[in-house]
Amino acid sequence: MIKPVNLREIALGMMMEITEEEAYSHVVLRETLEKYQYLEKRDRAFLSRLVEGTLEHMIQMDYIIEQFSNVPVYNMKPLIRNLLRLSVYQLKYMDSVPDSAVCNEAVKLAQKKGFYNLKGFVNGVLRNTARRLSQVRYPDQEKEPLHYLSVKYSFPIWMLDKWVAQFGYEATEKMCRDSHMTRGTVVRCNLSKASKEEIVEDMNAQGITVRQHPYLDYALEISDYNYIGAVSTFRKGWIQVQDISSMLVAEIAAVNWGDYCIDVCAAPGGKSLHIADKLMGSGYVEARDISERKVQMMQENIERTGAINIRAMRMDATVPDEESRGKADIVLADVPCSGLGVIRKKQDIKYKMSEKQQQDIIRLQRRILYNVQDYVRPGGTLIYSTCTIGADENQYNIKWFLENFPFHLESIDPYICEELKGRTTEGGFLQLLPGVHQSDGFFIARLRRDA
Amino acid sequence: MALRNVRIYGDEILKKKCRPVQMMTPRTKLLIHDMLDTMYDANGVGLAAPQVGVLKRIVVIDVSGAEEETENGNGSDNGDMIEDTGINANENMDGAADADTAAESGGPYVLINPEILETAGEQTGQEGCLSLPGQAGNVTRPEYVKVKALDENMKEFVLEGKGLLARAICHECDHLEGIMYVEKVEGDLFDVTDEAED
Repeated sequence: MIKPVNLREIALGMMMEITEEEAYSHVVLRETLEKYQYLEKRDRAFLSRLVEGTLEHMIQMDYIIEQFSNVPVYNMKPLIRNLLRLSVYQLKYMDSVPDSAVCNEAVKLAQKKGFYNLKGFVNGVLRNTARRLSQVRYPDQEKEPLHYLSVKYSFPIWMLDKWVAQFGYEATEKMCRDSHMTRGTVVRCNLSKASKEEIVEDMNAQGITVRQHPYLDYALEISDYNYIGAVSTFRKGWIQVQDISSMLVAEIAAVNWGDYCIDVCAAPGGKSLHIADKLMGSGYVEARDISERKVQMMQENIERTGAINIRAMRMDATVPDEESRGKADIVLADVPCSGLGVIRKKQDIKYKMSEKQQQDIIRLQRRILYNVQDYVRPGGTLIYSTCTIGADENQYNIKWFLENFPFHLESIDPYICEELKGRTTEGGFLQLLPGVHQSDGFFIARLRRDA
Repeated sequence: MALRNVRIYGDEILKKKCRPVQMMTPRTKLLIHDMLDTMYDANGVGLAAPQVGVLKRIVVIDVSGAEEETENGNGSDNGDMIEDTGINANENMDGAADADTAAESGGPYVLINPEILETAGEQTGQEGCLSLPGQAGNVTRPEYVKVKALDENMKEFVLEGKGLLARAICHECDHLEGIMYVEKVEGDLFDVTDEAED
């Protein structure tokens, strides 16, 4: 008999794609699970947990491996290094897998992948790790505070260095810790379709746990469901999955009856639909994005919710659109960013981002801002947002923007709850920090074009 | 290491009933070793003698490491952890002698003239067969199996298996009766793509 698929081999293949070929973890996972549709639920869960968990703790895995290996991780063959990471993760975090199974399987895999001569090495490192895992000494928080955070939470030092300088050590540790937490899914009630009470009742009837989110009345945090696509409340278009931070965008945009709104980087369309909902069928929302696939995704969401005052269209925000000049009452620029606010959901971001890459992203953000500010009519509003943390892509971009274009910041206090109000919100922007606030990391600024 | 040719589905020999082993001979011993080598080489978890063209009631099984999550959180360092030289059937053969006590170990096991004494429960899941490469299908098997057999010294022992081990025992014992899993498959067989070798 043969076991049809070797799950650890599949996991290893995914790790190779994610760490060596720059593929995104969520994309690789989605595509792999699609490819192996015939796998049992238990096997699928094992695969996701193994790959996501290993990525989540990768710096820590490397640190442990180096306690038991003479070869530094970066000098190992990529396949061997990823095999060891996956195996040490199982030893440390998956109690239900026997240590012997982890070691045996890793050795077999090394051999199968053509590293017959490294079998002994793999076996030696893993056997030693299994025996002495509890004796590993980790960096001391007092003596090496950054190194301590880096190994404990698996964050690169350069990122921690920046965060500590901007937000302080305590907030940085909170953000790191939060990236390892699981939280419920936040959904927005589509109030033009049903009342909040109806929605809560509908979900309770399906055994879903519903909790009120503190920041917005129509935001609910839900848990105890398997797959959102199977929740009838979702299928009816009564709720939209959307983080609280992204809901705040539509609040802060403060739409008026009949407004014309252009969302220049709209996919998957949550903010656009939210604005369309707030317009109660009036006005018009143009949800634009760069690829056909993204437009398709928005189209599906629009159809599900049945909104009529919104259209998804393919348009590249880096290319100026003469037609739109001075026409929009509201422009949403939720620009591509380094994504450091959503590491909890996309663990590989923290390893892939570099300072150099961030510079490229900032250039792209400014190019988009340069184009799209032109679409705002005099007296109209521009909402700039990112799902990242740190001044480079946020405050510094706003500073640059104000120096170059006829806009001014406007207080966002009228649109947010007491808990979120602070020094900067009166000044016109809000930086949400994961773990400090009850949301993803996010930045929102409200800008008005001089009349 | 000696590998034997694995007979492929359609070969008449796979439909025949096997004869019991009367006594251990050097030839049979060699067959057992070759069966283990052949099984490991193909990343199998079990192999029956008819699959290498010999109509004898002999099966080898090793599910160690193939079980993704077992219910017992078996702590560290139990005996079957591989020594530095890595896994090789010959080195592990000695370990198999403890089989009568190690009900929770994954193997390797050598079962001569096996006889299923007891089964319980039910599990449905995928299985594949070395005699039908690249394909798999869903088969329902007992969750628990108790089997009596002789080891390679012709000493009787009893083995209890759950989950994958139980499945492998049933699958291999079927081969000795000339039965392939395709006769028991629920729904269609599907293609399994082996991950490309690097």
